[in-house]
Amino acid sequence: MKMWQRSLVATCAFLVLFGGVAYAQTSEAPAVDFSYTGNRTAVWIVAQLHTLFGAFILGAPIFIVISEWLGYRKQDLRYDRLAKELTKVTVILFSMTALTGGLFIFVLLAAYPQFTTWFINQFYLVFAVIYPLMFISGTIVLYMYFYMWDAWKGEKKGRHIALGVLLNLICIATMFVINGPTSFMNTPPKSEGISPQDFLVAATLWDKIANQTWMPLNLHRIDGNVAFGGFVTGMIAAYMYMRAKTQEERAYYDWMGFVGNLIGVGAMLFQPITGLLLAYEMCDYDFSFCPYMMADQLSMFFEMQGAMVGLMFLASNYYVWLSLKRIEGIEKVRMTILAPIVMVAFPFVMMVVMNYYWIPEPMSLAFLLPLALAPFLFGRFIPITVSALTVIKIGFLMVIVGDAIWVTPHGFAATGAKMVAELEMPEAWSFLGGMPAKLSAIFTLVFVTVVNYVVYNRAIRQGTIIWGKIDFTAQFVLIFLAFTSIWTMGLMGAVRSLVRKYFHTYNLMPDFSPESFTPTLSYSAWWITGITVVFFTVVSFAVIVALRPSESKGRVAEGSPVPARAK
Amino acid sequence: MKKLSIGLVVGGALVGLARALDFPFVFQMMFFGQALFGAAVFMLLDAPSLKTMSGMKSGAAIVVFYIVLCTVCIAGASMWPQFDPEDEKGKIAKILAPKRAATEQGKAEELIARTKALDEQVKALEVRLKALGGDQQMAKEGPVSGAPPVVAKAATGDFMKIGEEQWQLHECYNCHKLKGEGGKKRGPELDNIGSYLTAAEIKQKIFNPKSYMAEGFEKEWEKGKMPDKFKDVMEDSDATALATWLSTFKNTSVNTPKPIKKT
Repeated sequence: MKMWQRSLVATCAFLVLFGGVAYAQTSEAPAVDFSYTGNRTAVWIVAQLHTLFGAFILGAPIFIVISEWLGYRKQDLRYDRLAKELTKVTVILFSMTALTGGLFIFVLLAAYPQFTTWFINQFYLVFAVIYPLMFISGTIVLYMYFYMWDAWKGEKKGRHIALGVLLNLICIATMFVINGPTSFMNTPPKSEGISPQDFLVAATLWDKIANQTWMPLNLHRIDGNVAFGGFVTGMIAAYMYMRAKTQEERAYYDWMGFVGNLIGVGAMLFQPITGLLLAYEMCDYDFSFCPYMMADQLSMFFEMQGAMVGLMFLASNYYVWLSLKRIEGIEKVRMTILAPIVMVAFPFVMMVVMNYYWIPEPMSLAFLLPLALAPFLFGRFIPITVSALTVIKIGFLMVIVGDAIWVTPHGFAATGAKMVAELEMPEAWSFLGGMPAKLSAIFTLVFVTVVNYVVYNRAIRQGTIIWGKIDFTAQFVLIFLAFTSIWTMGLMGAVRSLVRKYFHTYNLMPDFSPESFTPTLSYSAWWITGITVVFFTVVSFAVIVALRPSESKGRVAEGSPVPARAK
Repeated sequence: MKKLSIGLVVGGALVGLARALDFPFVFQMMFFGQALFGAAVFMLLDAPSLKTMSGMKSGAAIVVFYIVLCTVCIAGASMWPQFDPEDEKGKIAKILAPKRAATEQGKAEELIARTKALDEQVKALEVRLKALGGDQQMAKEGPVSGAPPVVAKAATGDFMKIGEEQWQLHECYNCHKLKGEGGKKRGPELDNIGSYLTAAEIKQKIFNPKSYMAEGFEKEWEKGKMPDKFKDVMEDSDATALATWLSTFKNTSVNTPKPIKKT
């Protein structure tokens, strides 16, 4: 796609956006009925697509600039190439973000005109001025960043990196701005003794933006976007590895997959923490959110989330396993026996501790932090060690155990009202379905993965890694990670929206439409899968267009065994 | 084969253990499935390397892989118990009815409904008059009233029924146990609440959750546990009905914690 074509797409998107805002000020038009999907699902589709493209274009620049900086600092051209290739894809997806954003406003206006009018009026300055301005600024800086790549190299590289930092600042600020209205819909500001309607009348724009879940959502999304960007990078690397015709190309894309996965997994480890923070603030805002999510209508959505996240952790550890197989000297790498002991003990100790000291009681940390840090702090004083491969195998066992605890429900009924004895866990074991058990499962997955990556890092440092020789299965693992992370993102996005129940904006703007009910998990899964496939198709197209093989000729020679520590 | 055998043995042991511990059949099957899944993971760890593919072959492999992924995601989600939206639709319509009636659209809809009802009444009267034999009877019937049909005041029994209905509508059972049903220890069991609080006090607690705090539920960070939204989402008469209904529960054999006045 040439620049004028991208600009045209972006212009069309902004025309729709501005037109939509203007239309919202004048219209009392009745809602349009979207056939086949229904109005709510039509909005869902475009909103989710917009969020996915947005997540990539906000997440990818973070590690594009880090990668560029690493390349500059280490004088390793591969990092620079990785950064530039990803920027090419990001530029195309920037246009898609603008396009789907415009479409989102258009569909929202058509489907829910009264609500959209009210909503835009609440955030008029954001929708009509701040957000478009920031998006335009971001687009200009992104184009500058991309087109100045070759002009600002050598001594001017620092200037180019600074431009990348500026791009990131604009992107993050854009996300913070739009997260205001998004979180407002879930948790509009309120005050004791005053009705939400009365409070809103006196609320300033800042009050509306800085609502209770705004910052948790910002943190969750920053982290999620980086993880998402990392996994999509891994997927791009997998595509290119499969297309590669030379060993040199395979070596490069093997390395790119390794970096993408590392960033993706690194950010994914924080996802449960920021996700829990978001859920905690939601429950604190209105406790009825909590049973609705965890024990009632949406409880099975969380079971599915547990299954998907468990699979993602398994896959990321499996990638490590496959990656270790091509490291020469792996059999000599060993680790303290404390690591597997703590891995095995962790879920059970945490379950007991959390039953006594539930969040936010800080006393739980007094037990759990020493336990988690024991292998790293005291390992050197214990003479008994085990091989890296054994540690990782025990890690796999505990990931399976952790995921089994996570997906074990309180009962096999979608709501408490339908719970009968034949479907419910015995009373004595009901703690397995409680939050302390789920939390212990989540942190077991995180802990095991951290230990496995420490082992991996040690193996890379002590052994010799042969780029381009990774088991071909690893490419499917990278694609799997990208697909499941996007799918899970879609699932949890649906949960965040559905938590509002029969309100467009919780407790303020009721949704009187006939689609104001909780859909089934199965129905949601169909649409989430469809949206993910559309997103993948567009990204695949962008990769094919942006990264033609001819582009990658004449790069650094790689592919021969290189001592890992030299990288 | 060795790993599969181990998986089957572990799965069998888990089923036996779960049965001995009175886990329902569905849980036994789930534990068995998890053991087999674990075996599959360990089989995958030692699986031989996949040969490098390229060109059309790798493209086809990716497409097949995506189809498998889509199928697994949809089938996996469909295997969990599904919530039936029909259970919720009626509740939502009832909760939103007063809010809908307050909107311009709601008022217009109410007018249309009343007009239709009047139209029906007129038609019914015409049929009745014709059956009685003529227009001269019309004068005796008097003019047709334009006012809507008067809704009779709910009798005491109906009032209690409204209270119980509110309990279901607002899903209070998600946190409070009553008559041995519902509750997950999030809120106190309420079978003896009538012995401690009057209907007016219960209503005060519903509208202002911090007004009373049950013993054992007063941790500083749990202050806002009961949602502070019912004054906004419930009609005053509905809250009175719910409070009156709850005040009739005086089962002293149930250990309902004593509410303490806070504000």
